[in-house]
Amino acid sequence: MEPLLKFDDVELYYDHVYALKGVSIEVHEGETVALIGANGAGKSSILRAITGLRKIRKGEIRYHGSRIDGTAPDEIVRMGISMVPEARRVFPFMTVRDNLLMGAFTRTNKIEIQQSIDMVLTRFPRLKERFSQQAGTMSGGEQQMLVIGRALMARPRLLLLDEPSLGVAPKLVQDIARSIVAINRDEKVSVLLVEQNSRMALRVSQRAYALTTGKVALSGNSAEMLADERVRHLYLGGEI
Amino acid sequence: MEQVIANGLYLGAQYALIALGLTLIFALMNVLNFAHGQMYVLGGFVTYSIYGQLKLPFVIALICSGVTLAIVGALMEKFLFRTVIRRSKREESTMLLAAATAFFLDAVVLLLFGEKQRGVPKIISGVFVSDRVILPYDRILVGVVAIVMIATFMLFMQYSKPGRAMRALAQDRIAAQLMGVKVERYSMIGFALGAMLAGIVGGLLVSITGVNSGIGGPISIKAFLMVMIGGAGVVGGAIAGGFILGMMESVGLTVLRAYGDITYLVIFALLMIFLSIRPHGLMGKPWG
Repeated sequence: MEPLLKFDDVELYYDHVYALKGVSIEVHEGETVALIGANGAGKSSILRAITGLRKIRKGEIRYHGSRIDGTAPDEIVRMGISMVPEARRVFPFMTVRDNLLMGAFTRTNKIEIQQSIDMVLTRFPRLKERFSQQAGTMSGGEQQMLVIGRALMARPRLLLLDEPSLGVAPKLVQDIARSIVAINRDEKVSVLLVEQNSRMALRVSQRAYALTTGKVALSGNSAEMLADERVRHLYLGGEI
Repeated sequence: MEQVIANGLYLGAQYALIALGLTLIFALMNVLNFAHGQMYVLGGFVTYSIYGQLKLPFVIALICSGVTLAIVGALMEKFLFRTVIRRSKREESTMLLAAATAFFLDAVVLLLFGEKQRGVPKIISGVFVSDRVILPYDRILVGVVAIVMIATFMLFMQYSKPGRAMRALAQDRIAAQLMGVKVERYSMIGFALGAMLAGIVGGLLVSITGVNSGIGGPISIKAFLMVMIGGAGVVGGAIAGGFILGMMESVGLTVLRAYGDITYLVIFALLMIFLSIRPHGLMGKPWG
């Protein structure tokens, strides 16, 4: 079967320094795939290449079989790819409600949008309590729930998550991990997850790619990678 | 005293509307539109031509002022500011461009309409007289129209989909883009809207103070004053700044009359002290 998303030999440069060199990855329908690796290994660059925030220099990115590299970010959303950006990036001076409505910017049916808001509030009851609060005044974990909810408001087929555990209280990391699994299962959304918290990423995903300096160093089944000596040594900090 | 407050409110409503347009453009594009006063002047001359010379109804003249400036603003964004912003990362480039468009508009207005002070017939005659306040009806009408426009603008920004998109764009450009907002389209809409507000105030005020081709620069400076007082890029700040400046001018003209024409000297001195204490103005945050 044709993969939902396919990178073929992709190269991406920041000025003269490469961030991705010959990267080939695949995400299939219904999967959660994790990208793990150290800071600067190129994980986030993969997401930026998909969303069109960064142009690739070589290679192809295909979504549903058709090429999407070179497409503008606002078009990518309309194709069904939603991004939860790094460092959350809520609209700080807007209410939770307005943030969610911005997530549904590409949609027009008001009744369906209201249904999506209800769905997000059921999934993240905390947002219900904060519904009329300014997003910038909430805690890191609450903001993370908001941006995940905001991305779901576009009804994506593919959800891109950039470091959702970063700057979130340890207790809430578990909650967010659980909601990623639940979203993948209930909403029939495929997920591409970028995480420095490799252990969390490998637990919630079915497959994973480990990146080192812009290249895929290892890939495979997440459960097997979690048990792999090399992965343990390189990405999980030795012991479990 | 009541007279001074009434004058201040009337002036403040006009000023707030001018400052709103300037702050909208700044919030969306990070461009200080030096040509804002010139847009005001152009709006004034459009109303002068249509209402004063062609004798068409004032409302139609006002709409024409708004539409003309919206088109001018949209074209300026699309062909001038967008291309410069795309090629240059430095803020001075857009400031220089804005200053250039100000001189250009000055020259265009001078060529088309000449250097004479122009006025139009009163839109309504008569004066409201009570024990303590004397205010011509046309000033009351113009003040009310300005306040209604401010309210409409605020409601539009707060509750409409394009308004929400522009607020999002002002708060986080990249996040807004990831939501599917077409940055270029909404920058153009915002610029057109800001220019339109300037043009409408110009049209409104031509019926009271008249217009001449030389007042663009001073109006721009007043608009900057208001935006600095309130905090750049904040809607509430622009409105507060407008009313504060209107009130200061009204009070100054009464209280300082005995000392000669020093109202603006005092206002500038006060602003320097104020800004050295609060450099971000009253509400220094990007949009509220």
